[in-house]
Amino acid sequence: MTATESVAAPSVKRSRGLLPNRSSEAWRRRLPLLPALLFTILLTQVPFVMSIWYSLTDWKVVPPGPREFVGFENYANLVKDGFFRDAVWVSVQLTVAPVLGSLALGAAFAVLLDRKFFGQGVVRTLIITPFLLMPVVVGLIWKNQMFHGLYGVVNWVIEQLGFSSVEWVSRYPTFSIAVVLIWQWTPFMMLIMLAGLQSQPADVLEAAKVDGTSPWGTFRQLTIPHLRPYMELGILLGTIYLIQVYDQIAVMTGGGPGSTNVPYFVFQRSIGGGWEFGQASAYSIVVVIASIAIATVALRVLSNLLEGEDAA
Amino acid sequence: MRSWVRHGSIAAVLAVAGVVAVGCGGDDSESGEGAGGGSINVAIVDNPQMKDIADLTPELFTKSSGIKVNYTVLDEGTLRQVTTRDVAAGGQQFDVVMIGLYEAPQFGQNGSLVDLTPLATKDSSYQIDDIIPSVRKGLSVDDTLYASPFYAESSFLMYRKDLLKQAGVEMPEKPTWQEVADIARKVDSPDTAGICLRGKPGWGDLGAALTTVVNTFGATWWSANEDGSVGEAQIDQPEFKQALEFYTGLIADAGEEDAANASFNECLAQYRDGKVAMWYDATVAAGLLEADDSPVKGKNGYAPAPVVETDASGWLWAWALAIPATTPKQDLAWKYVSFATGPEYIKQAGAKIDGGWAAIPPGTRESTYEIPEYKKAAAAFADPTLEAMASAPIDNPGTTPRPGLPGVQFVGIPEFQDVGNQCTQQFSAVIAKRTSVDAALEACQQVASGVGGQ
Repeated sequence: MTATESVAAPSVKRSRGLLPNRSSEAWRRRLPLLPALLFTILLTQVPFVMSIWYSLTDWKVVPPGPREFVGFENYANLVKDGFFRDAVWVSVQLTVAPVLGSLALGAAFAVLLDRKFFGQGVVRTLIITPFLLMPVVVGLIWKNQMFHGLYGVVNWVIEQLGFSSVEWVSRYPTFSIAVVLIWQWTPFMMLIMLAGLQSQPADVLEAAKVDGTSPWGTFRQLTIPHLRPYMELGILLGTIYLIQVYDQIAVMTGGGPGSTNVPYFVFQRSIGGGWEFGQASAYSIVVVIASIAIATVALRVLSNLLEGEDAA
Repeated sequence: MRSWVRHGSIAAVLAVAGVVAVGCGGDDSESGEGAGGGSINVAIVDNPQMKDIADLTPELFTKSSGIKVNYTVLDEGTLRQVTTRDVAAGGQQFDVVMIGLYEAPQFGQNGSLVDLTPLATKDSSYQIDDIIPSVRKGLSVDDTLYASPFYAESSFLMYRKDLLKQAGVEMPEKPTWQEVADIARKVDSPDTAGICLRGKPGWGDLGAALTTVVNTFGATWWSANEDGSVGEAQIDQPEFKQALEFYTGLIADAGEEDAANASFNECLAQYRDGKVAMWYDATVAAGLLEADDSPVKGKNGYAPAPVVETDASGWLWAWALAIPATTPKQDLAWKYVSFATGPEYIKQAGAKIDGGWAAIPPGTRESTYEIPEYKKAAAAFADPTLEAMASAPIDNPGTTPRPGLPGVQFVGIPEFQDVGNQCTQQFSAVIAKRTSVDAALEACQQVASGVGGQ
């Protein structure tokens, strides 16, 4: 309440000043947005500022003790913590591989789906299905029906081919989780790429045909440059979502070397048994800073590319 | 125009305030409802025996007492998170919480739980002396009972009598781990693994089974200082390495398929399918192996938990009901605890629940093992279970003094949950052949060293 009053008051005063209309008009237009802005700030920034404060304390829930200010000790511990470094490396692997893998597969599916054929709608719906499933369900399906050592489909196929079965999830956790993530995220990438393909101007393609370009030449010289911003968008959105993967890991491996990524690590350090809220806050603050850095770079790259496209 | 804008923004601010007010109102009504109507909020763990009592409560409890019980059923991990936040951080969400034998004495010592001893002694129908002594001890600190056991278990070795006979081997009456390993390697065949051991990460999964082995090998997680506090981490000692090498080596030679992912449920499925010949796990499994629908019914023998350096090595676990110190409804809460964990409920439930007598909550009271119907239904495993419960080395599980509160398959300090989780992830990676015993021990030693010294 007070915030809106104090904002409203200067706008009345300034209307008598030299630039009467510009600023007051601008403020008047913004005014209806302010409550929503205030609400958003309360909901998102206050908890964030509180986490910053927590990260400077040695707050532990179990055993309960006095919460004391320790300065940057939690951050210093973090640099020394080999397990955190491992988790960062797993996070990198489990973001880069699924994003690129699902982008490649998604692009391939999109190219196939871009042409007209009988049953196109049904096929498109079926391909989208993995993305609509709950991550926990996806983890369970893959762990028990696909990768399982005794009853899994993958091992059944391998055995039919004459090889001995492999305990996928336990032996190759990073690989197994990456496969599941690619499976789930391919439809998302496919949708973005499909939108790109369908926005190709028909006249340009037709002109290429008239000029006698081969289909592969058209694809390489016209379609791919046209799809580039869509790929960038897919990579950006995919990275933002996949960097926070948690459910599949919790269900499939429950953490461990090769599958504990940063979000799972923060969970373990806080409510997952560690109960060290101070230390866990420090981890999450570092993750936020890293994410902002990555997102800024990515967005800048993206907007440059988009401008470049326009200029060309 | 201007006034329209002003009004608009004020309306929006009011709307926001309204949302906040409604949010607060929601909280108030929740706690207010309980105070008026004689009802209590209870958090329980999601397993068959608890679901049975939730179904029977209206008929057996609410009808006579008039107290309405609102259950919140959670899986083990979530329950632990919720109760730790609620009890340890002084929330007021629940009037009765179900906690494990690990948390009960810790929370009790913190002063977060109501002392049940006076309430239990006054209540003649509760019969406090009927509780199996080792369980009572595990839930108490200095003879003060902090939680009332609903269900309790120890661990023992289950084996297929027919398969051992086929292989021409015999199970000794009190086997050592070396004897069990020899038998496992002998009966191991391409179709049937020799033994099923837990390998899934988690202090309550691999951590429980492995710690009982560690104990009896004469190893320990931490040494104890004279005042019982945590001393140095002992993961890097030769005894611990010996125990881990034994455990992982046995799984590699004669263990089940995909052992790094196996815990109670996975082993149960494989044992029932005839894919393993022996299984070291919780005593409660026997009830499931001898159930009417079990393909291995009547084929099983039961031996005490194998030992090496100690006399007994079986673990001790209980799910127990406790009353948070913050609840304003202590009397109602105790009435419920007395009903749910008293001897009467077990007798009434046996005739009413779907699973029949064999499915009643076991291991808490001596009188359970005197009920003729139960003795008949559980003939194959009642005696071995009771013996395992009674002999669980709750006071001195290893060969050296250990820090913290009593416990067998865990160390009774708050940090164990975390250390156990992290270390069993390393050990599970050894079972999956992704890392070496030495690398896992080194990582674990580093984790464990973070405790106590600070």
